[in-house]
Amino acid sequence: MSLFNAIEIAGSGMDAERVSMDVTAENLANAQSTTSSSGKPYQEQSVDLSETTGSNFQSTLQEALSGTPSDSGPVQGGVEVAGIVNDATSTQLVYDPGNPSANKQGYVKEPDISSVTQMVDLIDESNSYESDVTAMQTAKDMFSSSLNILK
Amino acid sequence: MAISASEPTQSVLEAAMRGAELNQNLLTSDLANADTANFEPSSVDFQSQLATALNAGTSPDNVSFQATTQAQTTNTNGNGVDADETSAELSENGLLYDSLAEVMAANNQSLQYAMGIGT
Repeated sequence: MSLFNAIEIAGSGMDAERVSMDVTAENLANAQSTTSSSGKPYQEQSVDLSETTGSNFQSTLQEALSGTPSDSGPVQGGVEVAGIVNDATSTQLVYDPGNPSANKQGYVKEPDISSVTQMVDLIDESNSYESDVTAMQTAKDMFSSSLNILK
Repeated sequence: MAISASEPTQSVLEAAMRGAELNQNLLTSDLANADTANFEPSSVDFQSQLATALNAGTSPDNVSFQATTQAQTTNTNGNGVDADETSAELSENGLLYDSLAEVMAANNQSLQYAMGIGT
């Protein structure tokens, strides 16, 4: 364990929040997409986060030097995106007879995405990102203050 | 008396800085996992653990800090991270580490002065 771990952990958090933001932005942008690549209406996506219990730089280097390298894993205690999950149930029928995708009754199958919820998620993710930046800054300050001990 | 290695102030400061470093890693991990479902935050109360160890006569070099995990959940997804509280603890811990480093530097300066190599 070293202070670099704190920086790496905060970095993994920033990474995960960025992916979450991408997904939220995608949800917002596709809130009215009646056809996605699968031909069905766009499905709301959500990010599944999990804590990492992986190796660090040191153990990876040691493994590499001993001739048995494994995949360089994530840092212990960090966070990673375990997967992006589709919400298959999130469709609603909207009456819009002029729409080319409308059925005989004039209804269009649209994704049931609440822009308010997505915006709130976006704010939440932005705040989390910022707190990770602050944590990284604190670790950086700590590191440079320990470099000043021998001055 | 041998200096540096057995210098008590230095050793205690070093142990405290080790504790603060561990706490920093744990608190950063808590913040990074603020949105992870069923995550239990952990931190280390290194000051009281160090005090207990020193009172019991343990050498500061041999003190190992134990992290405590908080099982109580505060959020709807089973996550127990209070982001505000963790941020506050994080900056407090950072300042504490900085002051420990400052004291250590001052202590080093005194030692250097005593050895005649300082200013």
